[in-house]
Amino acid sequence: MTVQPQEVVLRTKGLAKRFGSITAVDGLDLEVRRGEVVGLLGPNGAGKSTTIGMVLGLITPTAGTAEVLGRDVGVRREDALAGVGAMLEVTSFYPYLSGRDNLAAVALLRGGGALARVDPLLTRLGLAQRGGSKFRTYSLGMRQRLGIASTLLADPALVILDEPANGLDPAGQREIRELIRELASENRGVLLASHLLYEVEQVCDRVLVIKKGKLIASGTLAEVTRGGSSYFEIVVGDKARAAQILRGLGVKEIRETPTGLDVVAEAERGAELNRALASAGVYASALIPRASSLEDVFIELTEPEAPSAPPAS
Amino acid sequence: MLGLIVVIAFVFYFLIWVSVNAQLQAVKNGTLPVPAGGTTQLEQTLRQIAPDRVAQFGVSVVAGLGSVMLIVFAASHVGTEFGWGTFRTLLAHGASRSGFLVSKAVSLVLYAVVFMIVGSIAAIAASYTVSAVAGISPGSGVDFAEVARVAVKSGYTFLPYMALALAIAVWSKSAGAGIATGLVVYFAESIVAGILVSLNKDYAQIVNWGLSRNASALTRTVSGQAGPTSQDPTASTLPDPTQAAIVLGIYCAIFLVLAYWRLRSRDVTVGG
Repeated sequence: MTVQPQEVVLRTKGLAKRFGSITAVDGLDLEVRRGEVVGLLGPNGAGKSTTIGMVLGLITPTAGTAEVLGRDVGVRREDALAGVGAMLEVTSFYPYLSGRDNLAAVALLRGGGALARVDPLLTRLGLAQRGGSKFRTYSLGMRQRLGIASTLLADPALVILDEPANGLDPAGQREIRELIRELASENRGVLLASHLLYEVEQVCDRVLVIKKGKLIASGTLAEVTRGGSSYFEIVVGDKARAAQILRGLGVKEIRETPTGLDVVAEAERGAELNRALASAGVYASALIPRASSLEDVFIELTEPEAPSAPPAS
Repeated sequence: MLGLIVVIAFVFYFLIWVSVNAQLQAVKNGTLPVPAGGTTQLEQTLRQIAPDRVAQFGVSVVAGLGSVMLIVFAASHVGTEFGWGTFRTLLAHGASRSGFLVSKAVSLVLYAVVFMIVGSIAAIAASYTVSAVAGISPGSGVDFAEVARVAVKSGYTFLPYMALALAIAVWSKSAGAGIATGLVVYFAESIVAGILVSLNKDYAQIVNWGLSRNASALTRTVSGQAGPTSQDPTASTLPDPTQAAIVLGIYCAIFLVLAYWRLRSRDVTVGG
């Protein structure tokens, strides 16, 4: 049996945006397929929101194209966005209307059966009790929920969420993570821009890391974190002596920690390092192999210029 | 705003009656000296609140206040969408920029129409009410056709000012800038034009291409004896009403095209 590749709901080709002399996005190629959650990661100013703005036709690309369900956003914007539900980083609705009326206003814009989805979505996002309250009385978390509800009015094939967990308490964040997985299980593609790396680790099938507008890493979580270095956390008393011994074995990257050393080395060298320390009379009370987390990889990829901790002498 | 114009119409009529009547009583009592021409002018002023003068007086009052109120409304109607960030939200949900502008322009025109209808009805009601209280004869009653004609013309003169306020609000992404520019143009241009034509009637060849002179030309009644510009000594230099209507229409088109051009080409980041 052959597995059919899932339909691509979003594809950008060479997407670029320059604001004067500043290049915000530089030739970005990305794809989101039905049924997958793709995390868009990058430090502040990396170009995430600009990318989303270009995908939604809010920002005109300097070069390249964005296609939603095969429709070029630059050419057939309204047709293309008919299949997209988007929540922007700053959730904005009419302050003098209730949450329900705001959703109804968006539903009227969407047409189709969107109006019938207003109340079920308020219930799904936990806003049924406050649906009649004015938007201006909503807390930040409630505004985020309303923003997420608005993305689902059009029964979209692609959902774009820009920092959806902003302002939510831990329970709310967990609900949103579950909701995002539900959206993928409903055969929608989800593009999630987030600063919360643990959130991305928990819900994303693939991640895209951008820096200064360029895609610097992409793939499944396993693929991306494999690119990061593995290391050993060594708990040891005489840090200076231990560092000296390990340098003698050719280990180049050693960071001092409160309890000992973090030593970057291949995973299979654990026994060799332990033996060398013990032979020299330096006994480690623990030597723990660590795999790079997404956070480690993210920091490695996006902040190479950051000064590292001074090496142990 | 609609409720406000109703209240203002009643208050205005009532104040005219109270103040003029008080002057008449004071003259009769000898508290005030008799004016040079007798009390005829005061009595004529009092006659303005009669129902048969609504087209010339009441609708003009509504139009004068309406132009200011609708400039404020037009700029706010568009500017707040940028301030609240709802323009960005609407676009993100698939709204088109041209659709946004057209819907705003159409709703503004409809609002101006409703405003003039409500304002005219309020002026008629206020005229009958205050006339009855004051014991003033209603004369031949309200000439509804004339009221409608003046209201339509007055309403039409609002449109370029509203379009200007809308265009500035779009360019600046600010209701305040639209309001300020609309009001400054509304008041300052008519003052400057009036001064220039008073100094030299040849200046009319230039200022007659502006908004205020064309608006004034259009709101004059057929006889040219009454209406908002009846006291204007430069009225004879006003442009032809048909030409004025065309010029105002062209201004509306220019302002809307400028607004659309800016809206279409703008990158929408935070807010709008």
